[in-house]
Amino acid sequence: MNPQANLTPPKIPLKFLRWFCNDNLIEDVEGDLSELFNARRNQNQAWARLLFTVDVLLLFRPGIVRNFQFALRLIKYAMLRNYFKIAIRNSFRHKGYALLNLLGLVVGIASSILILLWVDNEVGMDKFHVNGDKIYQVFRNMKQSNGVVTTTGTVPKPLGDLVMAEYPEVSEVARISWPVDLNIGIAEDVAEEEGRFASKNFLSLFSFQLVAGDKNNALNELNSILISQTVAGKYFGDNWENALSHSLRVDDQYDVIVTGVFEDIGDNSTLDFDFILSTQAFFNLNEWVNDWGNGSFYTFLSIDDSEKARIVGSRIFNEINDHTEGNSNAGDETVILHKFEDTYLHSNFDNGVVSGGRIDYVNIMTVVAIFLLVVACINFMNLTTAQSNKRAKEIGLRKVMGAQKRAISTQFFFEAFLFTTIAVLLSVLVVMLVLPAFNNLVDKSLFIDFTELKTWYFLGGVTVVMGFLSGTYPAILLPAFNLIESSKGGIKQPAFTAYLRKGLVIFQFAISTLLIIGTSVIYKQIDYILTKDLGIDKENLVAVRMEGDLSKRLETYKTELSRIPEITAVSAASGNPINYGRSTSSASWEGKDPTEGYEVKVILSDEDFIETMGMEMLSGRSFSKQLTDSTNFIINEAASKLIGFDDPLEKDLSFWGIDGKIIGVVKNFNSSDLYEPIAPLIITCVDPSRSSIALIRIEGNIGEALIAIEEVTQKLNPGADFDYQFIDQAYADIYENELTVSALATIFAVISILISCLGLLGLASYSAEQRSREIGVRKVHGASVSQILILLSKDYSRLMILAFVLAVPFGYYLTQNWLDNFEFRTALDPFLFILAGVITFVIGVLTVAAKSYQAATVNPVNSLKHE
Amino acid sequence: MKIGAFEELVLLAVGSLGENAYGVAVKELLADKTGKIPSIGALHSALYRLEDKGCLLSSEGGATSERGGRRKKFYLLTAAGRNTLVEVNRLRIEFSKNIEGLNLSLDES
Repeated sequence: MNPQANLTPPKIPLKFLRWFCNDNLIEDVEGDLSELFNARRNQNQAWARLLFTVDVLLLFRPGIVRNFQFALRLIKYAMLRNYFKIAIRNSFRHKGYALLNLLGLVVGIASSILILLWVDNEVGMDKFHVNGDKIYQVFRNMKQSNGVVTTTGTVPKPLGDLVMAEYPEVSEVARISWPVDLNIGIAEDVAEEEGRFASKNFLSLFSFQLVAGDKNNALNELNSILISQTVAGKYFGDNWENALSHSLRVDDQYDVIVTGVFEDIGDNSTLDFDFILSTQAFFNLNEWVNDWGNGSFYTFLSIDDSEKARIVGSRIFNEINDHTEGNSNAGDETVILHKFEDTYLHSNFDNGVVSGGRIDYVNIMTVVAIFLLVVACINFMNLTTAQSNKRAKEIGLRKVMGAQKRAISTQFFFEAFLFTTIAVLLSVLVVMLVLPAFNNLVDKSLFIDFTELKTWYFLGGVTVVMGFLSGTYPAILLPAFNLIESSKGGIKQPAFTAYLRKGLVIFQFAISTLLIIGTSVIYKQIDYILTKDLGIDKENLVAVRMEGDLSKRLETYKTELSRIPEITAVSAASGNPINYGRSTSSASWEGKDPTEGYEVKVILSDEDFIETMGMEMLSGRSFSKQLTDSTNFIINEAASKLIGFDDPLEKDLSFWGIDGKIIGVVKNFNSSDLYEPIAPLIITCVDPSRSSIALIRIEGNIGEALIAIEEVTQKLNPGADFDYQFIDQAYADIYENELTVSALATIFAVISILISCLGLLGLASYSAEQRSREIGVRKVHGASVSQILILLSKDYSRLMILAFVLAVPFGYYLTQNWLDNFEFRTALDPFLFILAGVITFVIGVLTVAAKSYQAATVNPVNSLKHE
Repeated sequence: MKIGAFEELVLLAVGSLGENAYGVAVKELLADKTGKIPSIGALHSALYRLEDKGCLLSSEGGATSERGGRRKKFYLLTAAGRNTLVEVNRLRIEFSKNIEGLNLSLDES
C-alpha cells in the first residue's frame, strides 16, 4: 500500500457512511470522524482505520440513517425474514443434507484459507523494504564444462567499484557477505553469533530499522559493529542506548565499538544476521577480494526505474570478461541483474537464466486452493439442485400466493449466501484452531491478520463468489418449475440437470485424481532423492565443525578420534562434500583451450578422504601417506571427461599455483543438489590444515560415539561450541521445501477426495431415495441385494472412470513438467496413475455402495405400501 | 420536556463548552469528565435528538483540511435547553433533601 493511501480514512466504510447517512447530517458526522481519524492516525494507522470502521458501523442507527422509502424497506425486510426462517426450518428438517453441505463448504474454505495464508507469507518475503522495487542483485554466471552454466551471487569486488564509478544510472552499490559465525562478547562472556559484513550504505538501501544509533553513519568506522536487540539485551540490558559506544571483543582478536542496535530480523527477511561488521574491515584483511577472478560479497545496486535497469543490465553483461581478458586463469563469466524482491521466489537458474524456484510451489498451492474451493462449490450446487424436488411444493405455493420468479430467485440466492456466510465464519474458526499444527508443519508463524484489509476482502470475496456460484444454478432452475406440477409435489427436472450434476461429479473426481497423481509423483521423486546412491556412503557419517585453530592441530585431533572404538575412519575437508560450492577457474592442463574458462570445484582434504567417504575409485589410486601426495590430485569422472584424456593418470594439472599430477579418478558423486548435473571436481590434500570440518565414520553405538567425539573436541579446543551434523540429515535438509510441499499436497489431496465423497454421498442417497419404489418392485420380483447394489453403483462407477480418463493427460503433463526441473529424476510410472485411479474409484464406489446398501436392504413393503 | 440521562450529560457538556461545542470537542469533554468514552454514533444521535427537541441550536463553522474538507457544526444551548437543565436539577435537589446525609444544594457544590 502506498503511504499516501493511509493518510485518508479507509474508502469502503466512508462510502458506506455517505450512502446511508442523512444528507443534513453528513457534513457534521463525516467531519468529526475525519478529525478523530487524523488524531488517531498519529499513534497507530492500522488501529485508526479499524476504529474508523467501527465508528461508521455504530453510526448505522435510526436517527442518522437517511429516510429510505419506508414501505419498500418493510416489505423486503419481512420477506427476508421469511426466507431466513424457511431456510433454517428446511435445514433442520433435512439435517443430514444440511450437515453434508456445511461440512463440505467449511472443509473446503478452511483448507484454502490455510493454503493462501502460506502463499501470502511466501509472496511477502523481502517485501518490507521501502525501496524494494529499486534494489537489484548482481549475479555471476560461470560457464562450466559442456556449456552448463552455474549462477552465483558472489561477485568480484572490483565489479561493484567499477559500477559505482562509471554507471550514472546506479545511485548506490551496497555489499553484504554470506553469514559468518564469530565469537562475540565481553571478556570471558563470549557466545557464537551469526552475522554478516555489510557496506556503509547497506542500512540506507535496505529498510532494517535501528532502535539506537544513527543509520547514516553507523558503519562509517572500520571497528564499528551493529548488533541485534537480542545480542544487545544479552550484554547491555533492555535500554538500547546503553549499548552504544561500548566495545565488544570479536574472536578474541580485535575489539569493535557498538554504533547501533537494530530490530531483530523477522521471518519475512531472507537476509538475516545478529550483527553487522564493516565490509571495509574484511577487505583490508583479505587481499584476494581485489582480483576480478574471485567472487566475493553479494552486491546490490539501487537503480531508479526498470528502463535504467535494462540499460545497466545490458552494459554490465560482459564486464567481468572484459577485465579478465588475457588472464589465462580466467573463466568465462557473464553478469546478470535480478530484482532483489524476486530472488526469494525465483531462485533457480537454468543455464544462467531465471527458471523458477519456490514460485513453482506457490503456484501449485494456489491452484490447489482454487481447486478445493471449486470442489466445495460443486458439492453445494449439486446437493441444492438434487434436493430441490423437496422444495417443489413450497415453490408452487409461493407462486400461487403471487410470488414472481424474481422473488423465488432472490430466495435461493439468499439461502446460498446465508450458507456460505455461516460456512466462512465456521471456517475462520476452524483455521484458528488448526493453525498451530499447520505452522508446525510448514515451519512458519502464520496467523490471520484481522487488521489487514486484505483479509476482509478475501473473506468477503469468498462469501460473495461462493454464494453466487452455488446460488445461481438453483436460482435459475427452480423458479422455472411448472406451477401445476410443482404444487402437486411431483416434478420432473429437465434431463440436462442430471447431466450437469454428473458432469460436475466427473470434474470433482478428476480434480481429486489429479491431486493424488501429483502427490504420489512428488513422493516418488523425494523417495528417489533420499535413497539415491550419491557415490558417497552418507549413512553413519558425522561432520564436526573445526572451530578456531583446531584444524592446525589436525593430526593430533585425528589420532585422538581414532582411539574411540566406534570410529572407523576420520578425514578432514573444506566443506560438506554433498553440498559443496568452492570452485576455481584457474585450473589448467595440457591441451586446455586457453580461450575457454571453466569453473572446477576444488575440495581441500587429506589422505583419508576417499576411504572415509566410502567413494569408489574408477582408476588409479587414492592418496597415500607413504608416498608424498601433497601435490597430487584426484579428479572425478566429470573432470576427467572435461580434460579429455583417454587416460588421465599421471597427467599434469595445475591450479592456484600448485603444479601436480593426476593420480586417480573417483566415480562421480553428487556434490550439489539433484537439480544440478554433476560438476567437474578436483580433490587435493595439499594442505589439510585448511580444512574446516572433520568427517567421521561411525560404526556401532552412535550416541556413545558422539559423546566421545565431543569430549575429544572439547579437550583440544576448550570453550568452543561443539557443532556437528549427520551428513544424511544435512542432505535431507536441502530438500526441506520439497518435503513441506509434499506433506501439504498429501493433506489437501485427502481433503479434496473427502469433500468430493461428501457430495457423492449426498447424491447417492438422493438417487436411492428417488428410486426407492423401483427398488421395491425389483425386490418383489426377486432381485437380490447384490443385483440392486450393482444397479445403483453402476452409474457412478462410470463417472469415476470418465474422471480418471480426464485426469490422466493433465496429470502426465503437469508432473512431467515438474520432474524436468531435476537433473536426476525418477521416471514417471504408469503404475502411479493407475494407483491414483484405483484409489479414487474404490473410495467413490464404496461411498455410493454404502448408501445403496441401505436402500437395497429396506423391506419392499415399506417403500411400496403407499401405492 | 423529558430528556434521557445521556442526553442530559450531552446537554451539560454543550452548555459548558459555550461557543466551541462541536462533535469531537463534546466527545472529549464527556470522556474527560465521566471517564467513559462515548461512541460517536451515540453522541451524534443524541445531539440530533436534542436539536429536534429544541434544546440545542446549531450553526455551521469553517471547513478545515484535518476534517477532510467538512465543516464543523457548532451547537448552542437554547433557552428551552437551559430550562430543561434547571428542571432536572431542581428535581434532583428536591429528592436529595429527603435522603438523610445527602444534602445536595446548589451552593454547597
